[in-house]
Amino acid sequence: MIKIENLSKSFGNLSVLKNINLEIKEKEVVSIIGPSGSGKSTLLRCLNLLEIPNEGKITFENQVIFEHSNNHKEVCRDLNSFRNNIGMVFQHFNIFPNMTVIDNIALAPINTNKMSKSEAYAEAVVLLNKIGLIDKKDSFPNKLSGGQKQRLAIIRALAMSPKVMLFDEPTSALDPEMVKEVLELIKYVANLGMTVVIVTHEMRFAEEISDRVIFMDEGKIVEINSPNILFSKPDNPRTKEFLSKVL
Amino acid sequence: MYLSIIDIIVNYFPLLIKGLGVTLALSAITVVGGAIIGFLVCLFTMSNSKILKFLGKAYIEVIRGIPLFLQLYIFYILLSNEISSFVAIAIALIVNSGAYVAEIIRAGIQSIDKGQYEASRSLGMSKRKTMIKVILPQSIKNIIPAIGNEYVTIIKETSLGSAFFIGDLMTVQKQIGNDSYDFLGAYIVVAIFYFISTFSLSKIISRIERAYKKND
Repeated sequence: MIKIENLSKSFGNLSVLKNINLEIKEKEVVSIIGPSGSGKSTLLRCLNLLEIPNEGKITFENQVIFEHSNNHKEVCRDLNSFRNNIGMVFQHFNIFPNMTVIDNIALAPINTNKMSKSEAYAEAVVLLNKIGLIDKKDSFPNKLSGGQKQRLAIIRALAMSPKVMLFDEPTSALDPEMVKEVLELIKYVANLGMTVVIVTHEMRFAEEISDRVIFMDEGKIVEINSPNILFSKPDNPRTKEFLSKVL
Repeated sequence: MYLSIIDIIVNYFPLLIKGLGVTLALSAITVVGGAIIGFLVCLFTMSNSKILKFLGKAYIEVIRGIPLFLQLYIFYILLSNEISSFVAIAIALIVNSGAYVAEIIRAGIQSIDKGQYEASRSLGMSKRKTMIKVILPQSIKNIIPAIGNEYVTIIKETSLGSAFFIGDLMTVQKQIGNDSYDFLGAYIVVAIFYFISTFSLSKIISRIERAYKKND
């Protein structure tokens, strides 16, 4: 579904991603783990072109959305409708603080002409019911807990009915007691049969929900494996070293 | 001394009120015009076009780098043959204020967390929609109070216009001084008028500011 070839990204002199090759299949759940600064989040942000790579090629459903190689540069002309297909959830929620809970959800479907106003609000009610936040629909986000904000961010992305969901360390900014409710919702999203890519430090969770786990270090993919192999007997010594420190 | 101040206020009250009216009106015209010019200039500085960006930045730097008094003279000489000196001074003040307001708006927009922009773009919203629906409504609560403070500054700056006898409070001061020979008294009286206007305006602005902060 998403194919990444020879992808490189640097910020100034700092090379963050070095020649990444990766293919993500439809309905697959892929976790990316690795030490901080290894390029996990940057790789994720390249997938919806929030970060424009320096080199390489990204293909989404057989359509080239980015290519830069040998003086040939091409960035998807209609970035907005491409991004309609890809939902993203951020570490710091990025809920719109000036809008009510329900307006947060309905904003994008209305303004991208995906739905009429009434459809968008009806859909928002359905989604809010699903996560048990319907009684907060007219509250402002400052009345929500961290866990509630992140769950709101997840359904805000779902409201666009994307084909792929990207999660960028969705539980790293949460109080420990809020982590579970967010992970439960991510699991629910994965079980909907959606393609999911998640950058996370929650190793147990990655092991539980992923079809494949990617271990990254210093801007490179060190190892891709099924979770039971990667977590119990990894191929690469660097993976083993990392896991021995975090598990 | 006390008597002379009260005498001046009583004897010249209609003139003083007229001068205050001119000062407040000129300031209000300047703020509104400055906000419009400032918004346009700010769009220039944030546009993708290098030429527009350069023009916007050059405007801001040039205007802010030259004394306002000097700008008033230039506009007065350029324009006062065609239009009244009041309008010439108003245009000069608007052009000047626009540069400051452009910076106020830019600062207001840049104070919004980058994550807000990214979240909106990641939902498939266009740059334009993101600006209109997400970024500007949030930055307005930083921008409005700052523009209010700019209003206070402008009320004081319009006094420079009295060099061209535009009928504002400072012009009235000159008239009263020449008429009564009590120049100090006239200065103190218009100072009181200026202070009352700026002080009450500042109070109103902090009230608005507090109202905007309610939902934070």
